[in-house]
Amino acid sequence: MDDGPLLRIDGLTKRYPGVTALDDLTVTVPRGRIGLVGANGAGKTTTFRLLLGLAHPTEGRVEVCGIDVAHDPIGVRSRLGYMPEHDCLPLDQTAADVVSTFGELSGLPARAARQRASDILDLVGLDEARFRPISGFSTGMRQRTKLAQALVGDPELILLDEPTAGLDPLGREEMLALVARLGTFGISVLMATHLLDDVQQVCDYVVMIDAGKLVVSGATDSLLERTGIVTVDVGPRGGELVEGLTKVGLASIAEDGLVEVTIEGDDHMDIVRDVVADLGLPLYRLSTRLTSLDEVFLRRAGSAS
Amino acid sequence: MSTVETGGHGAVYDRGYRPYDGARGRRGAATFALYKASMRRALGIRRSWRQKVAPFTLLGVVTIPAIVNVGIGYVTRDQLEDRIEIITYRDYVGVSSALLLFVALVAPDVMCPDRRQRVLPLMFARPLLGTDYVAAKVGAIGSILFAFSFIPQVVLFVGNMLVSDSALDYFSGHLDVLWKVPVSVVLLALYYAVVGVAIASLTDRRIVAGAAVIGLFLITSIASGIIVGENFEIEGGSLAALINVLILPLYLRDLVFLGHVDPDSPLTGVDNGGLFAVATYVGVLVVCIGVLLRRYRWVER
Repeated sequence: MDDGPLLRIDGLTKRYPGVTALDDLTVTVPRGRIGLVGANGAGKTTTFRLLLGLAHPTEGRVEVCGIDVAHDPIGVRSRLGYMPEHDCLPLDQTAADVVSTFGELSGLPARAARQRASDILDLVGLDEARFRPISGFSTGMRQRTKLAQALVGDPELILLDEPTAGLDPLGREEMLALVARLGTFGISVLMATHLLDDVQQVCDYVVMIDAGKLVVSGATDSLLERTGIVTVDVGPRGGELVEGLTKVGLASIAEDGLVEVTIEGDDHMDIVRDVVADLGLPLYRLSTRLTSLDEVFLRRAGSAS
Repeated sequence: MSTVETGGHGAVYDRGYRPYDGARGRRGAATFALYKASMRRALGIRRSWRQKVAPFTLLGVVTIPAIVNVGIGYVTRDQLEDRIEIITYRDYVGVSSALLLFVALVAPDVMCPDRRQRVLPLMFARPLLGTDYVAAKVGAIGSILFAFSFIPQVVLFVGNMLVSDSALDYFSGHLDVLWKVPVSVVLLALYYAVVGVAIASLTDRRIVAGAAVIGLFLITSIASGIIVGENFEIEGGSLAALINVLILPLYLRDLVFLGHVDPDSPLTGVDNGGLFAVATYVGVLVVCIGVLLRRYRWVER
């Protein structure tokens, strides 16, 4: 597999009559699990259409896995899997038939497509339901089938458009766990979503867009900044810790069984540790609280506009 | 593949994900895959028994005349000097109600769900273009129509050959049938496949598409009949006969079998009637294919 960047987007602009969906987007994205984040109408779906070669850019160029989309859209599509947000499955067919057919449409021989359909449906947890018509599937099962059809062609990159949309909390966790596993298989993931929690949980790189413009991109960890608050878990004796910290001049509150301490610099971290030791409290956790991606997005998008 | 031992009583295998490193096709392979999938759908394969009723009933219905013809030939083989033929090869390349009904049922079933259930974005995210999609769908319907029109002809030919006094003489005496029938059937199957698929592409509702297919054929047939009149065999036909898109390919069939327009057809007596029929046939196909390519021009400009 090529070790070059996953996506190289240069000055990408897409204008429709009366609206600019993407405006001079320039970003280079490494391989891995990527979150494409933005509010509804930010340009995520347009970006997907341009990556798939299903729309021509007004200006700029896109390279996917080292291939220029404008020059070889078929070559690009041969390397991609795509899971749309909306319902898109033939309801009167079985999951095995659908996934197998899409395997063949991806260029696999019929026998290989059938074998892979079986393997992939097993992987996404639909092995026992694969011979049932999709019309009888729950939302979660349909999402898994959509993921399976995107995976069956063994893509280098899989485009997921709001993969957790409409799922209950358990289904959402299972879907995110599946997406997280894809990275271990050597498949890159580009997940478009407006749910920043999903991105923070799964993705190791984030591209944020707003109104068609790039807000910020970078490794997820690098975007999460320290907030100046330390979270301390000392079990049920949090009240004692709050009193001890007040005596040494540090403001703190006990909330949900945890103590949140406002600090300024690493010296204060040492003071917190010493107070816990002096009081003889058990220390289960001492961690710096980071900003959430929501906060990063709101702050960056606000300053950009 | 990772293995989890379970106390010596067996093992649970996590097969994980296995990359595919075998041969991989591109547009041609994807088009052929869609062609096969459409054929399966049209024939009801891997679907409930109800979906198999229409195609195989049609095959039965269109084969009955051939079987009856051969049966009569067999029963009367020693009694008559001249053979009784209730149907000729030319007549057998024709439009039956069953065939029309089949086009009206199957073309919408193969086309409309892709649009209604929004499957098209998944297909066009593969190495497949709009032209490939159209070729696969028309090819699938056309292949079935060809098979269902050609198989009865084979039954008729082989049956007649076997019940004749000399199979070899019959074969050598009907060599022209061996090219006229396939050519005529190709013209017929291509026409109905393209027209049926084009109409079905205009809506995502199967029932609307089916009614539109039947409606188009019936309305143009009635309109043509009214304009040409009933006494065309005496007074001569009219170019208005070509309005009837239902029987348009039969004029080409006659050109293949007879070399000219059938004197009993509503186009009889029209100067260059055969030429106009060919031009109209080509025109209908061009318009329908244009509609299809426009409907499935998936990539924006």
